[in-house]
Amino acid sequence: MLSRQPGDRTLPTLITLLVLGLLLMTFDVRSEGGGVIGVVRSGAQTIVAPMQKAAAFAVNPVVDMIDSLTNVASLREQNLSLQKRVAVLEADLVAVNDDLARLELYEQLYALESTGAALGRTVAQVIGQPALEGALIIDKGSSDGIAVGQPVIDPNGYVVGSVAQVTPGSATVIPITVGRNHLAVAVGNQTGTVVPQIDTDVMRLDLDAQEPILAGERVVTSSGSVRFPSGYPVGQVAADAAPTNDFLSTEMTPYVRPDTLRVVVVLAWPPDPVTAVTDTETTTTTSPTTTTTNGSSTTSTTAGDG
Amino acid sequence: MRLRTALTVGLLLLVALVLQTTLFSQLEVFTPDLVMLVVIVLGLTKIRPELVLAIGFVSGLAVDLLGTAVLGLRAMVFTVVAFLALRTRERADIGRFVTALWAGLITLAGIVLLILVGTLFGQTVLLGEGVVDRLVFVPIANLIVAWIMAPLFVRLIDRDTTAFRYA
Repeated sequence: MLSRQPGDRTLPTLITLLVLGLLLMTFDVRSEGGGVIGVVRSGAQTIVAPMQKAAAFAVNPVVDMIDSLTNVASLREQNLSLQKRVAVLEADLVAVNDDLARLELYEQLYALESTGAALGRTVAQVIGQPALEGALIIDKGSSDGIAVGQPVIDPNGYVVGSVAQVTPGSATVIPITVGRNHLAVAVGNQTGTVVPQIDTDVMRLDLDAQEPILAGERVVTSSGSVRFPSGYPVGQVAADAAPTNDFLSTEMTPYVRPDTLRVVVVLAWPPDPVTAVTDTETTTTTSPTTTTTNGSSTTSTTAGDG
Repeated sequence: MRLRTALTVGLLLLVALVLQTTLFSQLEVFTPDLVMLVVIVLGLTKIRPELVLAIGFVSGLAVDLLGTAVLGLRAMVFTVVAFLALRTRERADIGRFVTALWAGLITLAGIVLLILVGTLFGQTVLLGEGVVDRLVFVPIANLIVAWIMAPLFVRLIDRDTTAFRYA
């Protein structure tokens, strides 16, 4: 039945293609994904994105159904715990509404005006995930105002990652758990960075710390970050840790599992690109600063994300 | 390769690519690497071996272009996978299950190669959480898909209704 055997030209063809592949890889690594290769990638994504959108439209209900069937037992437990959580959150919401009403009253009394700091948000659907890479392809692109570098959160406001590549109709998001960059964060009033680790979704948390931190404490983006606005929740401390020589290293469990996301929100941040450039120049370096208090001096590092 | 065969192969690869990045990227229980499987099963067809290698290379390049990994990584891996398939295809022509097992084993070799070469080129994400799961579940999923689809696929490409009808 199989009449053909690999001919004499199979091996030379293989070697030629392997050399070509190696050259491409070297070129891509050296150009850091930019230049011609970046343009070709965008072109390929532009062509395939409409098909992915159509496929996602048909496929997502099927995936949801299969997920529901495979997780039916845990879904019941999750449903019960979520009902309890909703009750707690509704009570919190009432308290927050009271606070907002009081705030509005004080603003009127003192004639305060809003600074207009609300960020533009673009809700996007996840239409694809390249195999084994952890990146997300979303159905909004440059024609919707998405730009490279913009931060991405999930519908609950938890940090997901940032936009790495944009075409007119789609964009590629690199989650913080698989990217190569640090993210500047804060735990309480202590600042530092989180870094992805190989072999695990748990991230390494390094802090310039004077005080110990406890498991479960919330990790949020810090004002030193040039990639994210401050105050967005990233994850929670995985284990208790105490500082040594004003430095602390432990692990952080991210709130978001990117592979389970169907919808994300892209933030139009920074609102002013000129400010962003200035920020990048001034805060991405890690420089020692010396503080003198009551005759004693301490040295610490100012963490930014890179 | 005739134009009609080329169009069929192209269409099948495109469908595999779209399904791979949408449906199967979201499932946790069943995660075949469809594009790699198409390249493997092409080794069973009557398409010229050099062309199968070239199709493997182009398919890998397409997957690379749609992802974030270094360009050329899957192109190289899929080319080697196609070569392995061509060199061992006589052993697959015994029975339906053997064909499926053969596809699963070549998939395993492909995944191992992808992780090795990717790690050499700094693609640490390939070694991320679940690497062992991938080494187990992707070949098994490909084995199952091959068991169902491989004979049909070969008949469709070669337009030979007698192909892979095990007595």
